[in-house]
Amino acid sequence: MSSVIEESKNGAESAVLALHKQFLDADQPSADLLPFNKKALDIFESLKFPHRKHEMYTFVNTKVLADTSFSLKTENSVQNSFVKQHIYAGCERSHLTFVDGALCPELSDATALGTSVKIGSLIEAVKDESFKNILQKSIEQENDVFASINSAFMKQGVMVKVSRDKQVEVPLQILNVSSGGDSGPVMTVPRAYIHLEPSSELKLIVKYVGDGSNYFVNSVQDMVIEDNATLTHIQIEADSKDAWNFSKNRIFLKRDSKYLGYQTVSGTRLVRNHNEVWLNESGAEMELNGVSVLEEDEQSHQFVRVHHEVENCTSHQYFKNIINDRARASFDGTVVVNKGAQLTNSDQLINNLMLSDEGHADCKPNLMIFADDVKCAHGATVGQLDDDQLFYLKTRGLSESVAKEILTQSFARSIVQKIPFEPVVKELDETLLKKLVANNE
Amino acid sequence: MLEIKDLHSAVEGIEILKGISLTIKKGEVHAVMGPNGSGKSTLAKVLSGHPAYEVTSGEVLFQGKNLLDLSAEERSLVGIFMGFQYPVEIPGVNNAEFLRMAYNARLLNEGKDEVDPLDFDDILQEKMDMLGMEDKYKERSCNDGFSGGEKKKNEILQMAILKPVLSILDETDSGLDIDALRIVADGVNKLNGDDNALILITHYQRLLDHIKPDFVHVISGGKIIKSGGKELAHELEAQGYDWLTTAN
Ligand SMILES: Nc1ncnc2c1ncn2[C@@H]1O[C@H](COP(=O)(O)OP(=O)(O)OP(=O)(O)O)[C@@H](O)[C@H]1O
Ligand SMILES: [Mg+2]
Repeated sequence: MSSVIEESKNGAESAVLALHKQFLDADQPSADLLPFNKKALDIFESLKFPHRKHEMYTFVNTKVLADTSFSLKTENSVQNSFVKQHIYAGCERSHLTFVDGALCPELSDATALGTSVKIGSLIEAVKDESFKNILQKSIEQENDVFASINSAFMKQGVMVKVSRDKQVEVPLQILNVSSGGDSGPVMTVPRAYIHLEPSSELKLIVKYVGDGSNYFVNSVQDMVIEDNATLTHIQIEADSKDAWNFSKNRIFLKRDSKYLGYQTVSGTRLVRNHNEVWLNESGAEMELNGVSVLEEDEQSHQFVRVHHEVENCTSHQYFKNIINDRARASFDGTVVVNKGAQLTNSDQLINNLMLSDEGHADCKPNLMIFADDVKCAHGATVGQLDDDQLFYLKTRGLSESVAKEILTQSFARSIVQKIPFEPVVKELDETLLKKLVANNE
Repeated sequence: MLEIKDLHSAVEGIEILKGISLTIKKGEVHAVMGPNGSGKSTLAKVLSGHPAYEVTSGEVLFQGKNLLDLSAEERSLVGIFMGFQYPVEIPGVNNAEFLRMAYNARLLNEGKDEVDPLDFDDILQEKMDMLGMEDKYKERSCNDGFSGGEKKKNEILQMAILKPVLSILDETDSGLDIDALRIVADGVNKLNGDDNALILITHYQRLLDHIKPDFVHVISGGKIIKSGGKELAHELEAQGYDWLTTAN
């Protein structure tokens, strides 16, 4: 049996190589990005497909994914009406729509952003020497095999740059639509580079939806937040039921800058978020919140690495998972407090609510501390609904199912309510609640 | 209204109530006193339908019907209310919303329509004013981070909203300061008319100065070892329980 897995693993790697050949021959990769594609493929070959013993994929079974032979999507189309229903109130004139990873200008409108936000394609962006270096470095130092696949197939992508001192009032939404594979599974590789110049501010909402099935969204986002700038990043995964969604966010924080991240997963075959954050200069702050509501065989996996490189930085992580049926969630998070990162303030808290006996939650909060004057805390819980709370609600005349619903929703709500963008809060209150109610019946 | 006949109850196989009998009529106020661990809260929980407390024998009739057949929510809907000795904190559940849901559950059970949220706000405001509760208790999560006294007030607020037939208040006075005690007691007195009845579990005479009991019962070791009029409470306050338990 193990030899079959071994074989399929090699098979999966050669399938990616074959796909890449086809990409080079037939997909007209961009000449400016081509050197990066090739470099990334080398990295891919050195990283190899992960197996269960791989430290980055301890809790994620990638076998089915590796065994699936994907093709690349070239023809893509999606209805304007479909896009419209996924654009949040307030983003009507500040959204970029990507279909299968490619920007669709006719489905985008960024007029409300004015001149303070520069939007361009990565093909343009790499003509700038300093950006080229950043991209180069991020590809060369890639540690995640799926992100290296993204880079190997990167054809365009988007760059969003907020000018110095500009506090952008209107939120920017990036909508990633996957149109799905009609004749077999497809992979798409959305790629974004977000850059906040000093003292600027941006609220970015990235939403993933499917207008079809049978697809794998494999995205990478690089984010640079300069001195005193603040990026609010809300990521909503609302893909089709049988989709795979892997995303890697790489976040670099400079002096006194701030990253506020919110990630919600409302259930898909397999979601994996890889967040890697570098607190590179004093006074940098980051907060990462996540909530997943899972049922049936859905999976949501969080992999987080936070690097406290210097003194006086803070990092907070709060994750909650609601797990029903045979669903699985995992959290694998390490905070590295390097030598010299004195006065670090860091915490991690993961709570899992199990609604069934067959569900599964894995937690590995981890601290690696090489400084002595730090305040770090971490914890994880796995539990059922609280009997005393249930009884209390029932003594006030609420039925068992209503009481369960209230408690389950309140569990998710503490994260949802933090999201600093009302339309998303409202949407989640509805979608998550609907799912929870259906669960209880 | 309520008839408890030789009630025995066990938790995790250990018998705690060892034969309680008590009859309560409309309009009456019964005080239940007794040493720590004697079974007072257990009685309250059994009456309100806590699933962990198994009734091993005995009978409880409420308005002529077998109460023990009903689930906790059904008991609430027929008009039984328990004010918890230790009200449970429910983070993430907005207090006002929770109260409205409870109120609506009652209305739906009576075959009526749900209340308009604005109308409910008026009802709630009136009750909160009566109890001297500030507005912030609407927006906060139910009991979450409330002080001991605030939690007890919140219990009485629920009682005021639900207008129960029979209220069992388990040490509602503990944790209340003197002013709060008076306000809460006045509120309870207002809510307790000729058609209602009240069981007050307490350790202190000072509550009974405000809410005058018709009967006082002493529970010890899971049994009622003495019943009397309100003067019994004074004797207990002066002498403690020892003279009773040793006499038994
Ligand atoms: N859920 C439970 N599990 C185990 N033992 C319990 C449980 N509930 C009550 N008991 C035990 O039953 C006995 C009676 O408890 P109960 O709470 O009814 O006392 P009480 O008279 O209300 O005391 P107090 O005056 O301290 O409130 C105690 O010995 C207590 O430890
Ligand atoms: Mg008690």
